[in-house]
Amino acid sequence: MARVKRGVTSHAKHKKTLEAAKGFYGRRKNTIRAAKAAVDRSMQYATRDRRAKKRVFRALWIQRLNAAVRELGLTYSRFIDGLAKAGVEVDRKVLSDLAITQPEAFKAIVEKAKSALPA
Amino acid sequence: MFGKTYSAKPADITKKWVLIDATGLVVGRLASLVAMRLRGKHKPTFTPHMDDGDNIIIINAEKVVFTGRKREQKVYYHHTGYPGGIKERTAKFILDGRFPERVLEKAVERMVPRGPLGRKQMGNLRVYKGAEHPHAAQQPETLDIASLNSKNSRIA
Repeated sequence: MARVKRGVTSHAKHKKTLEAAKGFYGRRKNTIRAAKAAVDRSMQYATRDRRAKKRVFRALWIQRLNAAVRELGLTYSRFIDGLAKAGVEVDRKVLSDLAITQPEAFKAIVEKAKSALPA
Repeated sequence: MFGKTYSAKPADITKKWVLIDATGLVVGRLASLVAMRLRGKHKPTFTPHMDDGDNIIIINAEKVVFTGRKREQKVYYHHTGYPGGIKERTAKFILDGRFPERVLEKAVERMVPRGPLGRKQMGNLRVYKGAEHPHAAQQPETLDIASLNSKNSRIA
């Protein structure tokens, strides 16, 4: 039976790891030991942050909406309350985009929310 | 899904110049509004990693007021680095000293996130004692903080 030498596989594995560690800081991008640990960790972060991303963006839309709505004399919380009462079902992503690209349309929605609130 | 969310580019950012007269304004309430504007959180286009806030000029910074007895009782600590080197000064001591504008500066600094961006945004804040400022060429807009909320100012 032919003898198996291990250099080829381990070289391939190391290459794969080091490719994934490109752009890392210091020894983490050059040495296999440091790179391996760093790549393992980076994958954990990536998995976690693909989930966190949804929350981060929702938070950003809310911050932007709050700013946009305050210019028109409401607060975010009252605005959302007004939308619910007026039966408007546009989500926060679209609303915050409207506030930036189509201020007029956004203003109309805010007016709708305002009129649904008890005075 | 998230690629379409607006992100301000350097070319999109227009920084306004705002002038605030701090006479009779309550320190913390003023500082929180200033910090918000420095960070750009008052804009619908707020982008957390970009410096898209306003440039803010504050005059008469020595005429800010504290509520309650904070003028006498509020203590600012700093450490010299030597053992036993913690020093303290009251707000009154600083306000009556050579650089009274530091009270307001410190208040804002502590409300802006610490970091490279925070330091940059603090650079957009210019606080002066007295009614003079050297930024007339920027044609700053005046912002009346006292009229926003009755609690923002106190008659001392």
